Amino acid sequence: MTNIITTPVSRRTMLRRASQLGFMGAAAPLAINLAGAAEAAAHGANDYRALVCIFLYGGNDHGNTLIPCDPINYSRYSAIRGQVGILKKYLSPLKTLAPQTLTDDLQYSFPPYAPRLKLLFESGKLAAQLNVGPLITPLTLQQYKSSNRALYPLPPKLFSHNDQQSVWQALGSEGSTIGWGGRMGDLAMAGNGNALLTCISAAGNAVFVSGENALQYQISPSGAIAVKAIQGLPYGSPAISEALHQLITRPSEHKLENELAILARRSIKMEGVVNTALAKVDIKTSFDQLSGPNPLADQLKIVARLIGARKELGSKRQVFFVTLDGFDHHADLSEKHVDLIKKLDEAMAAFYVATVELGVQRDVTAFTASDFGRTLVNNGDGSDHGWGSHHFIMGGAVKGGKFYGTAPHVSVDTDDQVGQGRLLPSTSVDQYAATLAHWFGVPDHEMAIVLPNIGNFSNRNMGFV
Amino acid sequence: MNIMGSISETEAARFLLRAQFGTSEAEIAAVRAQGYDAWLEAQFATPRGQSGIDWLDAHGHNAVAKDVKYFDPTAGNYMIWNQLIGQPDQMRQRCAFALSQFTVVSLNPIDGFWPPYMLAGWWDVLLESAFGNFRDLLERVTLNPAMGMYLNTKGNLKEDPKTGRQPDENYAREVMQLFTIGLYELNPDGTDKKGADGKPIETYGQDDVMNLARVFTGYDHNMDRVKYQTVAWQNYPVVSHEFCVDPMKLDPKKHSQLEVRFLGLTIPAGTPGPDALKLALDHLFAHPNVGPFFAHQMIQRMAASNPSPAYVRRVAAAFNDNGKGVRGDLKAVWRAVLTDPEALDPPANPLGGKLREPVLRVLGWARTCGMHSDNGAYEIYSTERADEGLGQSPLKSSSVFNFYRPGYAPPHTEIAKAGLVAPEFQIETETSLAGYINFLQWSLRWGYKDVKPTYVSLRAIAHDTPAVVAWLNLHLSGNQLSDATCVLIAAALASKNVTAASSDSDKLDMIAAACLLVMSAPEYLVQK
Repeated sequence: MTNIITTPVSRRTMLRRASQLGFMGAAAPLAINLAGAAEAAAHGANDYRALVCIFLYGGNDHGNTLIPCDPINYSRYSAIRGQVGILKKYLSPLKTLAPQTLTDDLQYSFPPYAPRLKLLFESGKLAAQLNVGPLITPLTLQQYKSSNRALYPLPPKLFSHNDQQSVWQALGSEGSTIGWGGRMGDLAMAGNGNALLTCISAAGNAVFVSGENALQYQISPSGAIAVKAIQGLPYGSPAISEALHQLITRPSEHKLENELAILARRSIKMEGVVNTALAKVDIKTSFDQLSGPNPLADQLKIVARLIGARKELGSKRQVFFVTLDGFDHHADLSEKHVDLIKKLDEAMAAFYVATVELGVQRDVTAFTASDFGRTLVNNGDGSDHGWGSHHFIMGGAVKGGKFYGTAPHVSVDTDDQVGQGRLLPSTSVDQYAATLAHWFGVPDHEMAIVLPNIGNFSNRNMGFV
Repeated sequence: MNIMGSISETEAARFLLRAQFGTSEAEIAAVRAQGYDAWLEAQFATPRGQSGIDWLDAHGHNAVAKDVKYFDPTAGNYMIWNQLIGQPDQMRQRCAFALSQFTVVSLNPIDGFWPPYMLAGWWDVLLESAFGNFRDLLERVTLNPAMGMYLNTKGNLKEDPKTGRQPDENYAREVMQLFTIGLYELNPDGTDKKGADGKPIETYGQDDVMNLARVFTGYDHNMDRVKYQTVAWQNYPVVSHEFCVDPMKLDPKKHSQLEVRFLGLTIPAGTPGPDALKLALDHLFAHPNVGPFFAHQMIQRMAASNPSPAYVRRVAAAFNDNGKGVRGDLKAVWRAVLTDPEALDPPANPLGGKLREPVLRVLGWARTCGMHSDNGAYEIYSTERADEGLGQSPLKSSSVFNFYRPGYAPPHTEIAKAGLVAPEFQIETETSLAGYINFLQWSLRWGYKDVKPTYVSLRAIAHDTPAVVAWLNLHLSGNQLSDATCVLIAAALASKNVTAASSDSDKLDMIAAACLLVMSAPEYLVQK
């Protein structure tokens, strides 16, 4: 494992780290800082690691993503799902690389429209983390029902989209300003030739990639966008071009105006750096898709291209954020979920192939996340907001072809559910994230800064990567 | 703040840029002559322009033809751009646009027959309700077919003990979280109430959602007025579009008969659907959170990102009682938002004001500089892409949570450090900042498809660049640009050497450049 270089970090970060680790006194921050530096291995020329968060906005219906397909559990699934269930004839059990026995001898299938994910799983490049979701502490059903919230705290605003998106990304309800991807970026940015290219979103604003020091750099699927009127001669006049540049970039006393100017300076400067580097990258892997426009594939393509430009840009450690939207299937689940899973299947597979082409498949790990899982019970033609869900981790370093965590019973009334098939998570987001962070190079003693609740869980590494 | 009769040009422009989209010489004069209150009363009394539905009909979007336009959502964009740019009831349009960011429906997932009509029916509800009462708005929103599709009240079925099927909870959750009361109990000034443990007090829990969901079961599109037309090219009939306008219809057989307990109200088992709906909506409407929750967001949309608690309290009080004992009078809310001293006086605080959202920038320009379409088609597409559009398009939010959240604080900024918020910064990125200026560079000169700028006022003074800059400064920004900025812009424009004898094309180049510089300047972008 390679540790992230931990210097320099801001004094504020160091102080907060010190206090979180229980150190007192003025000398402590320095000591931690030096300890961090001493642990850090020197990065070789080819040293590189990237995490890619694929966020499925709306709350993916895990019940139709990993489907129980052994006879006993399928009949339970079918009875609960009713008309939104997938027919048995379309299912076939996923083959694990080594024999594995799950709860109630469960066997899972991908839906028939995810053939590439199946192939990736069975070839060991994709792992499944079962029933993962936000938790502050491990929680039994009895503890969940307890009124003692001091002893058994719940994540804030369960079942609410915007809040659970924020909890998954930043471990706090909406309004949280620092995500765990950003916190990893804080630790990693000093090792990058261009600190601003540590945390990158190809999907618009996301708190996941916002750190205390690491900014989220936002890029469009077509690359960085130039202000044409600054590069060219708007309305035939260099004077207008120059005035525009000056107007949008000069500092202002008014703070909101000043923030716009800071953003403009960053946008203009990074456009030159990024597009120059991207111009030299040629990826042969096709991201052209079979099932029509695929915004996730478009985003993953620019991520792959940025990874292809890593040496040019001096990137050593990067955290990316991409999304696929539209998973809130209260209705038309059978029809609309199919299309999204197809897109996910095609986009993830293309991305994996691109990392192989770039020779970085062991250095890039992609993983899925989502607002929440959904009810197993149907509401007619859809499902409602849930809690725990199943997620996927993909890459050459992933110990794939295996299920991690505890499979939930196919049920609506066992002690791993909180009603209507809403899963009570048996693995926390913190544990899922800590496993990824460990691979990324976050040292154990820094883990609590990235994931404040990780100390409440005895197992800090699920082992999937 | 000025008393009536002493409103300056600048103050009138600042007021108009909040109360509507743009400003004209005549409107500035009217505000100055009438005073704020009388001007507002005149707008409240202004009849609606052409409805969205009527506009679609008038432009042939109801045609039934083999090229299946009746499934194509695109004309929904034309409809809304025509409303916002082209219809005369400008303040009503402005208020409806603010409402469209509170009770959100997006064209994006609306499918099936006649998506443009779905969106027009929705927009017409917001327009018709904009100067009405919040309680009526709430009911019309709840039963609107587009909202029914968006948040799944359409087709929502009662529980089925045999299969375990449960009512859909989507609308029940969002009507509380987003459309009425919010997540936490509020003080009358919009600040969070705190419990004994010092933490905010949650307004509702999952049980409230599950119970309230029963109220919204049994509804579906109302097909009573729909006509079915058999066509040769498909094996099912084409329906006419009345169901896009008519409120959804209740089928009592599909409506839950279970008791409903939520937020302290019990609706007895077996209560007929319409009665249950009335009881539930009355109960939500009566919740003390609604006033401050709604007031805070309307202030954010129209005036300032960080209103003082006192400002919120004054607007919430107007919501709670319009002075005649009526709760929920939206006219009273708009008046309170727009004529509050905190809105009328420019903020002294260097963190005051709000970022003008991209759609409002373009609408302000379009209304102020004048637009014309030869064929009236208004073929303006979605502008939602950040890399080659505005990063925002009206009625095209990516989710029910609007383009941005009221509590969004941009990280790593002085704004966040001060503990303040700036919602519109959520869609202001490295990409959208450049994409917006690129969008302007073409559109300011050439317009968008058939919709082209006229620049009537500016053409007349095009030979006088400082006058052009001064005109734009007043009309687009309420004179927010500093003298130094005006000098800088005028000097750059002078490079074009436009004289009275210059060609129309040269004059238009210079005018477009002037608009580009003004509308890209942070001093303009932050509305103060």
